[in-house]
Amino acid sequence: MSALGELHSLTKREKGQPKVKVKHRHNKAAYLFLLPWFLGLGIITIGPMISSLILSFTKYNLLQAPKFIGFDNYIRMLSDESLHQSLGVTFLYVFVSVPVQLGMALALALLLDRGVRGLAFYRSVFYLPSLLGSSVAIAVLWKQVFGTEGLVNQFLAMFGIAGQGWISSPQTALGTLIILNVWTFGAPMVIFLAGLRQIPTMYYEAASTDGASKFRQFRTITLPLLTPIIFFNLVLQIIHAFQSFTQAFIVSGGSGGPAESTLFYTLYLYIRGFSNFDMGYASAMAWVLLLIIGAFTAINFWASKHWVFYDD
Amino acid sequence: MSGVQFTRRAAGFMAFAAASALALSACGPSATPQGSEGAGELSSEPVTLTMTWWGNDTRQANTQKIIDAFEKAHPNINIEPSYSDWAGYWDKLATETAANNTPDIIQMDALYLSTYADRGALLDLSSLGDALNTSDLPQAAVDSGKVGDSLYAVSAGLTAYSLVANTSIFQQAGVELPDDKTWTWKDFAEITKKISDSGAGKYYGASAYGFEDGALRMWARQNGDQLFDKDGKVVIKQETVKSWWDELKKLTETGSVAPASTTIEKQSGGLSESLSATNQAALGFWWNGQLTALSKASGQDLKLLRVPESSGGKYWYKPSMFWSASSRTQHKAEAALFLDFLVNSQEAADIQLTERGVPANEKIRTAITPKLSETDKAVVAFLDDLSGDVGEAEPVTPPGGSAIEALLKKYTEQVLFDQVSTDKAAEGFIKDLSSEIQN
Repeated sequence: MSALGELHSLTKREKGQPKVKVKHRHNKAAYLFLLPWFLGLGIITIGPMISSLILSFTKYNLLQAPKFIGFDNYIRMLSDESLHQSLGVTFLYVFVSVPVQLGMALALALLLDRGVRGLAFYRSVFYLPSLLGSSVAIAVLWKQVFGTEGLVNQFLAMFGIAGQGWISSPQTALGTLIILNVWTFGAPMVIFLAGLRQIPTMYYEAASTDGASKFRQFRTITLPLLTPIIFFNLVLQIIHAFQSFTQAFIVSGGSGGPAESTLFYTLYLYIRGFSNFDMGYASAMAWVLLLIIGAFTAINFWASKHWVFYDD
Repeated sequence: MSGVQFTRRAAGFMAFAAASALALSACGPSATPQGSEGAGELSSEPVTLTMTWWGNDTRQANTQKIIDAFEKAHPNINIEPSYSDWAGYWDKLATETAANNTPDIIQMDALYLSTYADRGALLDLSSLGDALNTSDLPQAAVDSGKVGDSLYAVSAGLTAYSLVANTSIFQQAGVELPDDKTWTWKDFAEITKKISDSGAGKYYGASAYGFEDGALRMWARQNGDQLFDKDGKVVIKQETVKSWWDELKKLTETGSVAPASTTIEKQSGGLSESLSATNQAALGFWWNGQLTALSKASGQDLKLLRVPESSGGKYWYKPSMFWSASSRTQHKAEAALFLDFLVNSQEAADIQLTERGVPANEKIRTAITPKLSETDKAVVAFLDDLSGDVGEAEPVTPPGGSAIEALLKKYTEQVLFDQVSTDKAAEGFIKDLSSEIQN
């Protein structure tokens, strides 16, 4: 049972009771306990967000005071070819890596859910890449593995296949980053596993009594009851993928190369802000990214009405 | 009963939380105090100066020794060093500067000097008065650290564009070293092709140019053109840039230089992973001061050659790097003392030799001569030998001009992978560079 669900039912229960005073006193205590979190939210999140919104309407080179220029930064984006390239790269990355990653996570969760001996061990092993995946160390490792003299080419050479520099070719560089993201399927897998555990076994018992095949059970019981989890993972992973930065930064040496083929939106934002002293423009880019992610999340929620099944 | 405790509200909340965790932060603007006259009194209290530089392991070890020597002479001053490779250095310095945290002593490059100076981040060194003596530097070397009329940087050394040749690869391939005073680009293409053919993928005739501005500046000068003019405008002709990439493309297609994919993989690894350092290229384009570091990495006999068709005033002396101080330093007197130690002291020069370029300070240059290693001597000799062929200095790179490196890399990669014609690349490059400068 999730803590939020519990909270939800608690407030429902209290609705009928007239003890207003007690409730208020409780609220004060709650706010006091929440104070550190509010402070963090204000100082670390809201404050910088507001200042970045203001900066997005300025020309700000980091070293001198910002100059107000209205919507110029946003207008400039329309004709910035590198920005358009970075959008293309990012969309491709999100739309390929997220479905593949979730498919993989679900498949393995189903496999592990069948009562494998040593489940805890496998769960940890598969979860490990999620912890490491966005680290600098793994990105450096990736660069070696997919290099001209890397592990992948050595493996291919055993079958007499001549490999290539996967990271240094614009056709394959993004592919290696997609594989890296798919490899971190452990986090959604664990959430899928938790979801699978919550599906009451009586449904399956009833179904098999009626002679439903395993596939049929999966399609008509597991999948519908799992849709809220799938939805949750989808929303989260899309947001996560849009924000990818470290992998491309390390693998391309901070340039988004070769030939801008790994120029993620966030990487281009960083280059504009910190390498080209163009922090006003970078701030505007950050807000456009927020809008894009917001739009995708909104579409997701709207579409969810048609395919997500809530059992509450 | 409710099977899955995953409510609409919970999912929505989590998604919102994740979305709002987006990093939207940027650092606030800051005031830049202007220095008063003179360096002021040295403090007798403990003082800490921060110092930053880019460079290889050799430089790191040398600089630490210099710091130790300085701290021994001035026990109350503590130097806190930080260093990184070239690529990471500038991102870090920009961030630190924006956060009002600029190191007191900064190793500076000509590409970035005016960017930082124009925006008030650097101390006007002439305000230090006698505390920093520049009288032993030739006027041209002093002037190279000026933006407008103010001195923002003092030259750490001089360097010139060159080719680093691996003599054992030449021997292996059975090819004679060229006469570098008379050779042409045609000779270059033929020689490198022969070497690549004999190497059969084990080594190549040359590593590609196209990832930094030295090669383009040289090409421009050879074609009666120049990259920037005195007013900081991009004046290079599209035709010049196009022909530069045409040549590179031809060299790649004939196999004279390594294939595009190898070039790009090696290029991102810095000096120590370059084809020259790993003995996979007979010729590589480098600033001549890098010979010592390259020789250490390669372990083989490396020799400096002039770039083809570069006689008759095509060459220029480039300040290899500068020393600058932050305009926000709290310890002007101590910063001046340390800068003076770096530029004028025999002790620092004896440790550093030519690793930061041939010292611009003429007294120091003479004083260190007996201590030089073979490669150091070659570096100095190359520079001295050029003196008759050195033409006008390159104009100051305008603020924003540092973007040239990233732009060259982007378009060179696109050219090498046939994603864009050399004509379009040249057009795009000039357009992009001009707009970065206007920003």
